[in-house]
Amino acid sequence: MKRFLLLCLFLLGLGWAVSNFTGLATQGTFDSIVLDFREDLTQTEIADRIRTIADQYQVVPQLNSKFSKDDNIYVVRGDRDLLRSLRRSLRQDTEAIEPNFIYRIDTQPMNVAAIILGDSNNFPNDPLYGKQWNLRSINIEEAWKETQGEGVTVAVIDTGVSRVPDLKDTEFVPGYDFVNNRREASDDNGHGTHVAGTIAQSTNNGYGVAGIAHRAKIMPLKVLSAGGGGTISDIAEAIRFAADNGADVINMSLGGGGETQLMKDAIDYAYNKGVVIIAAAGNSGENAAAYPARYPRVVAVSALDSTGNKTPYSNFGAGVDISAPGGLTQGDNEDGGILQETIDPATGGSTFAAFQGTSMASPHVAGVAALIRATGVDSPDEIVAILKESSRQVAEDPFNHFGAGHLDAASAVQVALRGQISFRDFFRWLRESGYLSPRFWIDGGAVALLPKIAMVLGSYLLAWFLRNYFPFRWGWSMAGGLIAGSSGLFFLRGLYIFDLPQWPMRVMGSSLPELGGAIQGSSVLNPVFASVLIPAVLVVLFLGHPEWKWLAIGTTIGVASFLVISAFISPAVWGLGSGAIARGFLVINALLCMGLASLALKSETTIA
Amino acid sequence: MTITVEGVVEKKGFGTGTWALVSAEQTYELKDAPPELQQSGKKAIVQGIIREDVMTLAMIGPVLQVESFQALS
Repeated sequence: MKRFLLLCLFLLGLGWAVSNFTGLATQGTFDSIVLDFREDLTQTEIADRIRTIADQYQVVPQLNSKFSKDDNIYVVRGDRDLLRSLRRSLRQDTEAIEPNFIYRIDTQPMNVAAIILGDSNNFPNDPLYGKQWNLRSINIEEAWKETQGEGVTVAVIDTGVSRVPDLKDTEFVPGYDFVNNRREASDDNGHGTHVAGTIAQSTNNGYGVAGIAHRAKIMPLKVLSAGGGGTISDIAEAIRFAADNGADVINMSLGGGGETQLMKDAIDYAYNKGVVIIAAAGNSGENAAAYPARYPRVVAVSALDSTGNKTPYSNFGAGVDISAPGGLTQGDNEDGGILQETIDPATGGSTFAAFQGTSMASPHVAGVAALIRATGVDSPDEIVAILKESSRQVAEDPFNHFGAGHLDAASAVQVALRGQISFRDFFRWLRESGYLSPRFWIDGGAVALLPKIAMVLGSYLLAWFLRNYFPFRWGWSMAGGLIAGSSGLFFLRGLYIFDLPQWPMRVMGSSLPELGGAIQGSSVLNPVFASVLIPAVLVVLFLGHPEWKWLAIGTTIGVASFLVISAFISPAVWGLGSGAIARGFLVINALLCMGLASLALKSETTIA
Repeated sequence: MTITVEGVVEKKGFGTGTWALVSAEQTYELKDAPPELQQSGKKAIVQGIIREDVMTLAMIGPVLQVESFQALS
């Protein structure tokens, strides 16, 4: 009775496990939504709806392709929440609003054993990131894989910084308002908040836009009034405040006036305290950087448009150290500008605005300086050297439009990491020095891990179950048999040795029933191998041998486990299809294997 | 030192916008321009002082603090 109960419990457990196994198919994933507007809507009406969506959700629907215009099919970045909201608000105007499911050729989701050195393909998830051509043009995504500015403080000496929604997750340290002489340094112009956004806008927060060193801290220092001007004495004081209060980088998107000792001393003071100082070259289109960018210890930044040319307004020539995206907004065309969230000075509310200017170029360099600082480079000399060395040189630059070249965040971080070993460097080093990649490559996705583990565990459960009837002692032969019959050394199947055939790995990584297809690499089971036949031959051959019989019995039990799991998960058998017939075949053979193992154990215990 | 400049008023697109006086030789950034002067295309003679001690976010040229002006159009 007890044994019957145990059997029932075992079958119940096995049935539950198998029924809960979702197989190799995953739930559909999507990061965009398809909007199919009604055919009878005019283009103007559709444009209206799109504008409403953009205003309401900060995402811009775009035609899926040039062929989609006639069918009014638009795609918009978004998740399940947006899908629900859009379905509620646009039901009347659309034929369908559906998730834009991502289809992959690789349908095996279980790549847990793989070492993934790439990032996820959905970073950052800020819906307006697509409009930030400026971030892509400085290769920011590659740089983010190494650092996002952790632990670095950037002082923004400007019109103040207001905590707009897209700066909510950005860390702030106390600053100061030198215009109104108070601790709270909020923005009443919109310029400083925009500049701070380029440096450290909250990123991958599912809202708005991204920032370059978004894990860096912002120190807001207000020196410019709502009208956009400020005195040199306030600015010099702010520089000293930043140096005394732990800033690592200073950004000054401002300029004008002449050389003053007050300013020069403040800059030298900060520089000697290890602060990197970046400033805008100026917007008067002249052949020299404006002050303070012109001071020798300040990095002067000229502005590029979206095609990499110098913008017409940007200063150039003497004093210009490097160039970065500053944008060009002509007329109402805002696409060429630098987009960040800032405040609207008229209302005090937040708004996404595209600005142009060397003011916008400077924070790009300040952000990358923060990334370099975050890799552990302390000295301002070295940081400036890295910024210049890593920039993309422009071959023909007779007027010094670009200084050392175009800012390149990825290359800057790479140069900064040279000589330092990070976790990722370690793997790169392994690969490059021949320890990893040139010899072999592990693809965890090649092995469906869960079914394999289920097969091994299943074989042990079956053996444990039989042991209740026919007590036997566990041994290595038995364990080896269980593994050989159920799963094989399955991890070897994901191992690829360069320039050598992979089939020996597949053979060693296959269980006995899989051997029929191992050499060809087929996952369809061979009915001769995936049956009771070979276990029966093994048992007959080795039953008389004191050690090998356990291997034969273990193998038989292992094969039983394999066949049961396969019957549920992937029942494809040569000549029998993958339907009920194949499943029946596998289950019957599994039962025959169990019967065979029982008989062998019974004879063993009878003899004993 | 007070100077007199004749030019055309323009709004330059830096930040949220900055008022400028464009003369034949030089572009000046207007500081504290009265509302009557803030009209694109307006020709004017502006009297004011150059603020050497001021820096701005627009950086379009010398900062001309308006003291008085005479509209020409």
